[in-house]
Amino acid sequence: MNRLAVYGKGGIGKSTISANLSAALSEAGRHVLQVGCDPKHDSTKLLLKGKRLTCVLDYLRDTLPGDYRLGDVLEEGFAGVGCVEAGGPKPGVGCAGRGIISTFEMLEQFRLSDAYDTILYDVLGDVVCGGFAVPIRREYADTILIVTSGEFMALYAANNILRGVRTYDGAEGKRIAGLVCNCRNVTDEIERVERFAAAVGLPIFATVPRSNSFAEAEGANMTVMEHGQDGELIELFRDMAKRLAEGAPLHPANPLSDEELESVVLDSAAPHAGTDGASCGSVELQSEGTCDPDPTSQETTAEAEFGDSIDLTDPNRYLSKTVARGDPLHGCAFNGAIATALHLTDAVVLAHAPTSCANLSLQAFTSSGRRRLFERGALLPASLAPNFACTHMDEHDMVFGGTGTLIDAVRAQQQKGPRAIIVVSSCPAGIIGDDVDRVLDLSTPECPVLALKTDGNMTGDYLQGQLSASLAIARAFIKHDLPKQEKTVNIFAEKMVVTNTQANFDTVAGFLERMGVRVVSRFLYQATTEQLANFTSAQLCLPAYTDYTASLLGQLFSEEFGMELFDRGFPIGYDETVEWLRAVGAAFGESETAERIISEQEQTYRAQIDALRPSLAGKKLMVVSYNCELDWILRTALDLDMEIVRVGLLDYSQDVGFRTRIEADLPVVENYAREARGDEIAALAPDVLLTNYASPLGDSVPVADTIPMCPDVGFGSAITLARRWAQLLKTNAKGSWKDDGILFEQSFL
Amino acid sequence: MTESFSSNRSYKSQDGNGTGSMPHPWGEMDGIYPDSFSGIVFALEGTEGATVLLNGPTGCKYYHSSLSDSQTFRMFDFDPLSFPMKWYFGQPRVPSTYLDNADYVYGGEAKLAEALDFFKAQDSIGLICIVNTPGAALIGDDLDRIASAHLGDKPFLTVETPGYSTDICHGFEIGARALVDALGADAPLQPEKAGDRPRVNLLGLPLYSRNYTGDVAEMRRLCELCGLEVGCVLGGGSGLDDVAHIGDACLNIVVHPEYGMESAAYLHERYGTAYYVCDGAPVGFAATERAFTDIARHAGGDAAPLLDQSKKARMRSFSYISRLNSLTGLPKGVPFAAEGSFSELYAITSFLTDYLALVPVALWPVYEQSDCCAAKLNELLEQLGAREALGRDPLSCEPELVFASGSTIARLQLEGREFAGIETMLPTLGYLDVVPKTFLGINGTLQLVEMVLNGLKF
Repeated sequence: MNRLAVYGKGGIGKSTISANLSAALSEAGRHVLQVGCDPKHDSTKLLLKGKRLTCVLDYLRDTLPGDYRLGDVLEEGFAGVGCVEAGGPKPGVGCAGRGIISTFEMLEQFRLSDAYDTILYDVLGDVVCGGFAVPIRREYADTILIVTSGEFMALYAANNILRGVRTYDGAEGKRIAGLVCNCRNVTDEIERVERFAAAVGLPIFATVPRSNSFAEAEGANMTVMEHGQDGELIELFRDMAKRLAEGAPLHPANPLSDEELESVVLDSAAPHAGTDGASCGSVELQSEGTCDPDPTSQETTAEAEFGDSIDLTDPNRYLSKTVARGDPLHGCAFNGAIATALHLTDAVVLAHAPTSCANLSLQAFTSSGRRRLFERGALLPASLAPNFACTHMDEHDMVFGGTGTLIDAVRAQQQKGPRAIIVVSSCPAGIIGDDVDRVLDLSTPECPVLALKTDGNMTGDYLQGQLSASLAIARAFIKHDLPKQEKTVNIFAEKMVVTNTQANFDTVAGFLERMGVRVVSRFLYQATTEQLANFTSAQLCLPAYTDYTASLLGQLFSEEFGMELFDRGFPIGYDETVEWLRAVGAAFGESETAERIISEQEQTYRAQIDALRPSLAGKKLMVVSYNCELDWILRTALDLDMEIVRVGLLDYSQDVGFRTRIEADLPVVENYAREARGDEIAALAPDVLLTNYASPLGDSVPVADTIPMCPDVGFGSAITLARRWAQLLKTNAKGSWKDDGILFEQSFL
Repeated sequence: MTESFSSNRSYKSQDGNGTGSMPHPWGEMDGIYPDSFSGIVFALEGTEGATVLLNGPTGCKYYHSSLSDSQTFRMFDFDPLSFPMKWYFGQPRVPSTYLDNADYVYGGEAKLAEALDFFKAQDSIGLICIVNTPGAALIGDDLDRIASAHLGDKPFLTVETPGYSTDICHGFEIGARALVDALGADAPLQPEKAGDRPRVNLLGLPLYSRNYTGDVAEMRRLCELCGLEVGCVLGGGSGLDDVAHIGDACLNIVVHPEYGMESAAYLHERYGTAYYVCDGAPVGFAATERAFTDIARHAGGDAAPLLDQSKKARMRSFSYISRLNSLTGLPKGVPFAAEGSFSELYAITSFLTDYLALVPVALWPVYEQSDCCAAKLNELLEQLGAREALGRDPLSCEPELVFASGSTIARLQLEGREFAGIETMLPTLGYLDVVPKTFLGINGTLQLVEMVLNGLKF
C-alpha cells in the first residue's frame, strides 16, 4: 500500500481515523503525506496541534503560478507526517468537487508522489461527483478504506462509494482493503455492519470502539497516537498500519442495489434504528472554520525541506504570459490546444465537450481557410477540413459523467484508422470531473491516444493551451537523438490562424531551397506524425517568430531534445532579411548563395527607397502597436529619412518587451496607454499614423495606416507600406465615405 | 461559378493533390454546429437595445461577438482599444465575466457583481441579458439574486442553463421566450382599433442565417405590401419596446418553423394570439403567394398587391429561364444537392423541383432534433421518386448545384468536385453583402433563380 484513500459519510470520523493512521504509519517508518479533501479543511488539524493550514485552493486563487512554493501549503505535523488541506468554497456556492481536481493537479505539479512513499487521502463523505472521485481513480489510490458505522445513512454512503469504485475498476479490479466500523453505539451496530460486509464481500478491516479517549486527545489538539493515553487504541491503529504497510488483501467493489441495501441493513424491513445520542463522544467533532486567505501569515517550515527540491518553478513548467502574470485569461486552453493539435494532419482531435465548445474552436480554426479560398482560391486542407470530432456531451453526461461517452467516441474514431487520437477536454468535462486519462488505456502502437486535460480555461488561456498541446505532442511523437541529416532544418512557432502563414513559409522555404536546405518538419503547422518523428534529424530549428511563445518552444526543443536553435525569427523587411540570409548561409556553408540572393535584392530596394524618399523625407511617423518587433518598418522609415516621433507599444498577452537592433535613439514608450493617443496625436502632429486597427483618431492625421499583426516576410515588407503612404500624401484623399459616419450614428446609435 | 456572389475563379489545392483525409464533406465536421447556447445568445443579441453578458470565460465570447457584429452592425469603430479590455476583451459585443478556475471552485458572484455594477451605468444598454456558459451553468451561481441586488431597476433577464448539445433552434426559442417573459406586457397594451392596419409579428427569423438582414427586410416588405403592419420581429432586430408590445398583434407569422413554433404556441397561450406557420420558409413564387394569401386572409389584409408584384416577377424570371431553356433545354433535370434544416430542405426542394424541374440527388439535414417538415420532405421525395437523396453522400453522386454553407462548399472543392456552390447557410466563405440578399419571398426567388441560372454548365 502506497496510496490510501479513506472514504466515508460526512461526520463519520474519517479525519480522526486518517490522522491516527497517518501517525501510526509514520511511526512504522513510512514517510507519510496526509491530504485533506474536504472543504471543511480540518483533516490534519490534530496532526498540527490544532493549527489550520493555508488551503491549496485559497492559495491557487490568491497566488501567481510563478510564485507557487510548496512550503506555503505543506507543513510537517506529528511524527513527520506531511499535511495538506484542499479547502473549498462555502456551502452553497461554487463546486467543491472541482476544487479537489484543482488540488490534485497542483500536487502533481509539485511531484509530491516522488517525495513521499505513502499518501493518505481523507475524502469527504459520499462519492457525490466526479471531483470527489478523483482520489479513487487508479493513479491516485491503490488501496481504499471505507469508514462506516451501523447507521443506515453511513452504510448507504459506503455502498455509494462502492458504486463509485466499481465505475472505475469494473468487476475485476481489487483495491478495497475493507470496512472500518467506527462505532457510534447504534443498536445492533456490529451485526448490521457485518451483514453489509458479508453482502458486499468485504472484510471488516478494523472496528474502532467508541471511546472518550478521542475527545480527550482532540481537546489537547492531538491524535490518540500522540496523546499516548489509550494503549488499546494505539495498538489498534498500529495494527491497522502494519497490515496496510505489509499489503492487506484487496477486494473488488460489489455494491448492492438500494432495495438489497435496505433489506440487508434493516434486516427484513426492521425499523430504522435510532442512535444513542448521535455524535456525542464519537470521533469526528472538529469545529468548523475558515481558511486563512493570507498565505504569508503561515509558517513555511516545509519550504526549507521541499521548496528547492520539488518546486513548481522547475523547467518543466511552461506558462503563458497571461497565466504567469495572473491576468484575465484571453480565450481558453481548450481552444488553443485544439488549434495546435489540428495541425497534426494525420491525427484526429476529439473534443470532449458540448457541441457549442467544439463549434467555437472549429469556426476559429477554419475561418482563415475559408477566407483564403474565397480571396485567392487557395485550398488549404488542414484549414478547410480538419480531422476534428466531438463527444457532444449532453445533459445526461453532465449529471452522470461523460467518461463513458468519451471512451465510446475514442473507440469509434479508432475504427477510422488515424495515426493518433488527441483528446482535449472542455470546462464542463473538467467541472464534472470526467476521468479523461482513461483514454490512455486505449492507446496502441499504431494509434497512440493523448489526453490533453485543458478543462476549458481551467488550466489557462489560449496560449497556455497551445503550449500544453505542443509539449504533449512533442513528447509523444518526436524521437530523440536521430542521426543528423545534412542541410536540414525544422520550422517552429508559426502562427496558426493568420492568413499569411503559408505564404511566409513559402518565402522562407524558397530562400532555403536556393541554399540547398530542406525542411524536415514544421512544429506545428500542417505536419504529420512521421515528420515529427524525424524532427531531431534536422540540424537546426528556425523559429518563425521570437516572441514569448517561440522562446518557450525553443526552450523545449533545446533542453529536452538537444536541438540547436537559430536565434532569429523569419525576417521582415530589408535589413532583417539580409541579416537572416547571411546567418543561415553561414550556418550551412552557403554564404556565397546568400550573398547572391542579397545582391539581387539590394539594388531593387535602394532604387525603391530613392524613389520614395522625396515624398517621405522629413515626414513624421507615429506608431502605436501591439507588435514588439518593429525594426522592419522603423528601419525603412529611417532609410527614407522620415522622423520617428513616437513608438507606443501596447500591452499584449502574446509578446514581451520591445526588441530592436537599431542603434539610433527611438522615442519608445512601453505599456502605452490607449488614452494617450488623442493627446499625443495633437501634440506630435504626425504625418503618418500607424496602428494595428484603424481608429477615428486617425481622421486628424494626413495618413493613417494599419500595421499587420503578422507582417509578410522578406525584403519588401515595408516598401509596400511606404509606397502607399507616399501615394496617399500626394493625393491627400481620405475617402468621402467617412463623412457619412454621422448618418450611421443618427440611425444606429 | 463556385460560390455565391463571386466571379468565376480557378481553384487549386495548396499541395496540388487535394486531401483524402476528409471524414465527410457535408456540413461541419462530425455534426459540429452552433448549439442551443449559441441560439440563446443570438436571439438576445438580435434584439436592439439588449446586450448579452456571458457569465463565463472569455473563450465563449469571441465567436458570438464576431458573428453578432457581422450580422448586425451597431458601431463602426472596430479598434479594440475603443472597448474596455475588461468584459469586452477588445470586441464590440457580448461581454463576459471572464471566469477562471478559481471562480468555478468558489463561485463567480464577485466577478458578475463587478460587471453588473459597470453595465448598470451604461445608458445605451436597455436590457442586460445574463447568460451562463456551459461550464458556469454547472456551478449554480444564483444569477437572479445577484442581478437583482446589483441592477436595481435596470431591466435584466437571466438564462441559467444554456443547454448541452441541443440544437440552435431550441436555444433560439429559449432566448425568445426569455425576452417575452422579461419585457412582454401581461396583456395587450394597444389592442387593434377600427381603422388601424392589422398588426402582425414575425417569429423564427434568427440572426444566425446566411441572409439575415435581407430575409427580415423581405418579410417586412411583403407584409407591408399586404397592408399589414409588422410589430415585432422577435429576436430578429426589433427593439425592446416592440417586444413589450408583442401581445398587440392579431397574428404571429412563423417563418422558419423550427425557430418559431414554440414561441408562437407560447404567445398564443399568453395573449391568445393566433399564429400562422409557413409551410417551410416561403421560398419560390408559389410558396410565397400561398403563404401571404393565407396570412392576409387571417390577419385582415389584402394580398392582391403582392400577387400582382409576384406576377411581374414571374414574368421576369420566365424571360430569363425561357431564353436559356430554348438554347440548352436547361435547367430541367439538373442534379442538385442541398444542406439545411428539414424545413429549409423541404422549402428549397419544393421550389427547385416544381418550378425549375431540377432533380434532388443528395439532401443533408442539419439540426435533426428540430424535425418539423421532416415528414413532408419524405413525402415530397417519395412523390419525386428520390427518397434515396435524403442523407446521401454528395461524393457518391454528381450534383451540379450545391446549396450549402461555405464550409461544405469549400470541402467539396477540396475533393476536386466541379459544381456551382450557392451559399444558403452560415458560415460563409467571406463574401460581404453590401446589398442585402435573400432567398425568401419574391425578391428572394428572383435571387435564387439568378444564381441557379448563373451556376448552370452549358
